[in-house]
Amino acid sequence: MMGLLVFKEQLKTFYGEYSFVIDPIGRSILALAVFLLLNGSLGFMEILKNPVVIGVACLLSAFLPLGFLTWVAAAFLLLHLYSLSLELAVVAGILVLTVAILYCGFQPGNTILMVVGPLLFFLKVPYLLPLLVGLSCGLSALVPMCFGVFIYYLAIYARQNAGVLAAAGTIDITQKYMQILNSLFANKMMLLMVAAFAAAAAAVFLIRNLPVDHAWTIAIVVGTAVELAAIFVGQSTMDVSLSIGPLAMGTLLSVVLAFIFQFFVFAVDYSRTEFLQFQDDEYYYYVKAVPKIAVTAPDVKVQRINKRKEL
Amino acid sequence: MLNEEKIKLMTSIAMFEKKEGKRLRPSRCYFKSDYISRHMLMAFCGYTLCCLLSLVLWVLYDLETLLSGVDLDTLLICAVRYLVFYLAGLVIYLLLTALVYWKRYDHASGSMRIYVAKLKRLEKRYEYQTKVKEIH
Repeated sequence: MMGLLVFKEQLKTFYGEYSFVIDPIGRSILALAVFLLLNGSLGFMEILKNPVVIGVACLLSAFLPLGFLTWVAAAFLLLHLYSLSLELAVVAGILVLTVAILYCGFQPGNTILMVVGPLLFFLKVPYLLPLLVGLSCGLSALVPMCFGVFIYYLAIYARQNAGVLAAAGTIDITQKYMQILNSLFANKMMLLMVAAFAAAAAAVFLIRNLPVDHAWTIAIVVGTAVELAAIFVGQSTMDVSLSIGPLAMGTLLSVVLAFIFQFFVFAVDYSRTEFLQFQDDEYYYYVKAVPKIAVTAPDVKVQRINKRKEL
Repeated sequence: MLNEEKIKLMTSIAMFEKKEGKRLRPSRCYFKSDYISRHMLMAFCGYTLCCLLSLVLWVLYDLETLLSGVDLDTLLICAVRYLVFYLAGLVIYLLLTALVYWKRYDHASGSMRIYVAKLKRLEKRYEYQTKVKEIH
C-alpha cells in the first residue's frame, strides 16, 4: 500500500512539473482513439480516414479545450452518416443540434462524456461510465452520459443496417425516415442501458455525498448493484437478451477501474477522523474532518565520492 | 527587497483570477435580474428552435400519413396537442434556466466578495509599506 501511495505522489509531482506537455498529449491521444474508433466502426467517408485529416484534427484537439473534441467527433459522426444515408444524417443532426442547444447552452463543461461513453462501450467496459460519472460529476452529467449511450447505439445501428440504408430507391423516403426513427427510439437495449446507467450514476452520486465513512467505496458497490439489478429487471420485463459472460467481465473490470480511480482521487484515512465542535455568534458547528492520506515521495540522490577503480 | 507576504497575497489573487475569473463575470457586468432574463430569453429562443426541429422530425416520421390526406380536424387536434406540449416544456425549461442562472449569479457574487477582500488586503499592504517608507 505504501509503495502505491509513493507511486501516486511521484505521479502527482511528475504531472505538476510537466502538465503543460502531458495535458495536450493526453487530449491528442484521446482524440486519436475517438477518431480511429469512429473510422473503424463507421468509416463510410473515405476522406476522414486520411491520416492528414486525422492528424490535423488531433493537433487541434490537443491545443483547444476538451469540449472542442466533442464537436469535432460529432462532425466526424455526421459526415460518416451523411456518406451512408442522408436521412440518417438528418435525424442524427437534428438530435445532436437539440442536445447542443438545450443542454450545452448551460455551458456545463462535461460534454466530453458524449465521447467517452461510446469509447468505453467499444473498450468493453461500459459499466464503468455511470460509476465515473457518479463519482466525479454532478447529476447534470446524466444528460451527456445518456446521450453518449444513444450515440453508441446509433453507430451500431448504422453499421448493422449499412446495406439497407445505403440502398437508394429500394425504399420510399418517407418509409426510410419512419424506419430510422422507429429503430433508434424503440431500441429496447438502448433504453435499458440508458435507464440502468442513469439509475446507477444517480445512486453513486447520492451515496458518495453522504457523511458516512467509506462513502466512496459504498457508492461504487451499491452503484454496481443498482446497475446490475436494473439490467436484470429490464431484461426480464423488456424481453432483451444480454449475454452474462461479457456483462460479468465488464462489470468486474469496471469495479476494479472505479476503485483505482478512487485511490487516485479520494484517498483518505478514516481511522484518523476528527470531530470538532465550535460556535460563532449565529451558529453551532459540528465538523467532521477526515485527513487525506499523504506520503512524501522519497527523493533519492546517489552521490559518488570515489570513482570505482577499474581493475 | 522582496516582500514575501505581499508576493503570497498577489499569487493567491492571480490564482483566484485564473480559476474564478470567468465565473466572476456575471456579478461584474450585469444586475441579477438582467443576467437571468438575458439567459431566459436565449433559452426561450433555443427551446423554440428545438421544438421546431422536433416538429420537422415528426413531419418526416408521419410524412406518409400527411401526404395521403389528413382532414383539417385531425390536423387541428394535432396542432393543439403539440402546442400544449410546447408550452408545458417551455415553462419547465425556463424555470430550470432561471434556477441555474440564479445560483450562478449568487456564486459569482460570493466569489466577488472574496476577491474584493483579497484586493483590500493587498491595498492595505501597499499603504503600510508607503507609510513605513515615509517614516524612514
